[in-house]
Amino acid sequence: MLPLGVPALPLDEAGKYVAGAYVVFLVLIVVYVAIMAAKLQRIEKELRELASFAEQGNTYPHMAEAEGRSHGRNIDETKPSADHDLTLSGPDEGRADHAESPPGGRADHPQGVPDV
Amino acid sequence: MTPSRAAFAAILGKDLRSELRTLQSLPAMALFSITTFVIFRFGLDRTSLSGSLAAGVLWATLLFAAVLGINRLFVAEREEGGFDAIRLAPIDRSVLFAAKAAALLVYLLALELIAVPIFALFFLDSVAGLAPLALILLLADLGLAATGTLISSMAVNSRARDLLVPLVLLPLVVPLMIAATGATDPLLAVGGPGYHRFGTWLMVLGLYDLIFGLVGYAVFDFLLED
Amino acid sequence: MYGKGLRPLSIATVAALAVSLSLVFFYAPLDADQGFIQKIFYLHVPLAITALVGFVVGGTFAIAHLRSGNRKWDAYSYVSIHMSVIFGVAVLITGSIWAKASWGHWWVWDEPTLVSFLIVFLMYATYYPFRYAIEDPERQARYASVFAITAGAFVPLNFIAVRMAQSLVHPRVFATANGGLPGSMMLTFLCSLAAIALLWMTLVKFELTAKSASGQVKRLRRALDAPAPGGASRIAPEVS
Repeated sequence: MLPLGVPALPLDEAGKYVAGAYVVFLVLIVVYVAIMAAKLQRIEKELRELASFAEQGNTYPHMAEAEGRSHGRNIDETKPSADHDLTLSGPDEGRADHAESPPGGRADHPQGVPDV
Repeated sequence: MTPSRAAFAAILGKDLRSELRTLQSLPAMALFSITTFVIFRFGLDRTSLSGSLAAGVLWATLLFAAVLGINRLFVAEREEGGFDAIRLAPIDRSVLFAAKAAALLVYLLALELIAVPIFALFFLDSVAGLAPLALILLLADLGLAATGTLISSMAVNSRARDLLVPLVLLPLVVPLMIAATGATDPLLAVGGPGYHRFGTWLMVLGLYDLIFGLVGYAVFDFLLED
Repeated sequence: MYGKGLRPLSIATVAALAVSLSLVFFYAPLDADQGFIQKIFYLHVPLAITALVGFVVGGTFAIAHLRSGNRKWDAYSYVSIHMSVIFGVAVLITGSIWAKASWGHWWVWDEPTLVSFLIVFLMYATYYPFRYAIEDPERQARYASVFAITAGAFVPLNFIAVRMAQSLVHPRVFATANGGLPGSMMLTFLCSLAAIALLWMTLVKFELTAKSASGQVKRLRRALDAPAPGGASRIAPEVS
C-alpha cells in the first residue's frame, strides 16, 4: 500500500470531484435508458395498434378509413391506448371502446361503431 | 497510354481548361485570402507577424480559401452528368478521384502563388523562410487535395452541400494543420528561419498524404455506385 | 435475432461493473501524487479506450458493409459510432472534472490525449449531420460507411500529430498514471476496462435490438397493409 503523500486536494474536497465524475457517468447511462424506454413505448403502442388492426380483419373498409384518418391522425396520437384493456381481448369486448382504437377513425369510422 | 491514364489526362485537362475559361474558383479564392489578411491585420492589430502567429494566420487563411474551392469542385460533374459519364466509361472510377484531386492541387498551388507573396508583403520582415515553406505548402496541398476531393464528392450529392464541406473537412485536416503550422512556425521566426523538428513534421505531412490519398482512392468507387 | 444474447451480456456487465467499482473504492491503493482524485482515472481512461476502439470497430463494420452490400453492417456501424460518441461525451466531461481537480482548470490544452480526443469527437459528431443530409437511404448508408472508414484512418494519425505538437516540457498526466502502475492498480484498471467494454457492448446490442424491433413493426405494417403513422423518423438506418 502506498503511503498517503501530498495529494492534490484535501480528501473531503477531492471526494466531491470523484463523486461528480461517477455521477455524470451514471446520469448519462440513465438518460440513455430513458430514451430507449421512450422508444420501446412507441414500439409497444404501434404493435398494439397493429394487433387490433389485424384482428379486425384488414379488408376494404380500412382503405377509406386511411384517407379520412390522415387528418385526425395527429390529434389522436396522444390518446392513451392504455385506457383500452391491457389484456388482448376478442373483438366483442374491444368494440365498446372502439372509438379509441385504431386511433384516428372517430367520426369517419365506417364500421358503425358508436362514437363517444 | 493506358485507358486510365488517358482518362486521367482528359479529365484533368478538361477541368483546368474550364477553370481557365470561366475563372470561377481561383479569383474568388485569391481575393478571399487577401481580404482575410486585411481582416487579420485589423483583428489582431498587428502590422508585422512572425513565428507561430504568422504561421497561424497564413494557414488558417489558406485553409478557409481552400474550402471555397473545394465546395465548387464537383458541381460541374453533378450538373452536367459527369458522374454518369464516368460510370459508363470502361475505366477504373477512381481515375475521377485522382484527376479531380490533381486539379484541386493545381488550384491550391496557384492560390498560394498569389496569396503567399502578398502575405509576405503585408506581414513578413524577411523572405528567407519562404523557400523551405514551398516544400511544406506542396506536401500540405497534397493532403488537402486528397481529403478535400473525397469530402467534396460526398457533399455534392447531399442537401446542405455548402455547409457540409466545412463541417466535415475541418476536423479531418486538423493533423495536417498541426504539422504545417508546426513546421512553418520556426521558419517565420524573428531571427531567421529555423528548422526545429522540420524533418518530423514533413514526415507527418507525408504520412497524412499517403494515408488519405490511399483511402480516397480505395473508397471512391463506392461513392459512385448508383 | 439481436436480442438473443442480451440478457447474459447485461448480467455480465452488471457483475463486472459491481466488481470493478468495489475494487476502485475498496481495494486500489491511494495514489501518492494525486490522492483520491486519481480514482477518476479508473472511469475516464477505460471510457476513452472503449470509445476509441468503438470508433475503429465502427469503421470495420463499415468496410464489411461496403464489401458485402448487406445493410445490417451499416446499422452496426451506425450504432457503434453512436455509442462511442455518447461515451466520448462522458470522456470529455470526466476528463474536464479530472483536470479541474488536478490543475484547477476545467480545460487544459497541455494534455495531448484529451485534446486529440476532442478533435476525434468533433470529427465523429459531424457524422450525424453528414448522414442526415443525404436523402436516398442506400446512398446514405454507403457514404456513411466511407465516412466511418476515413474517420477510422484519421484517429491514429490525429493522436500522433497532437502528441507531437505538445511541448515536451509540460508534464503528462497519463505518463505518471500509466507509467509505474503497481499491480493492484493495474488489476483494478483492467477490471474497470473490462466492465466499461462490456457496458459498451451491452448498450450497442440493446440499441440494435430496439432498432430491429422497430424494423419488424414496419415490416408487419407493410405486410398488413396498414397505414403508417406520421412523424416517424425514417432517416436513421434501419434494421429488419
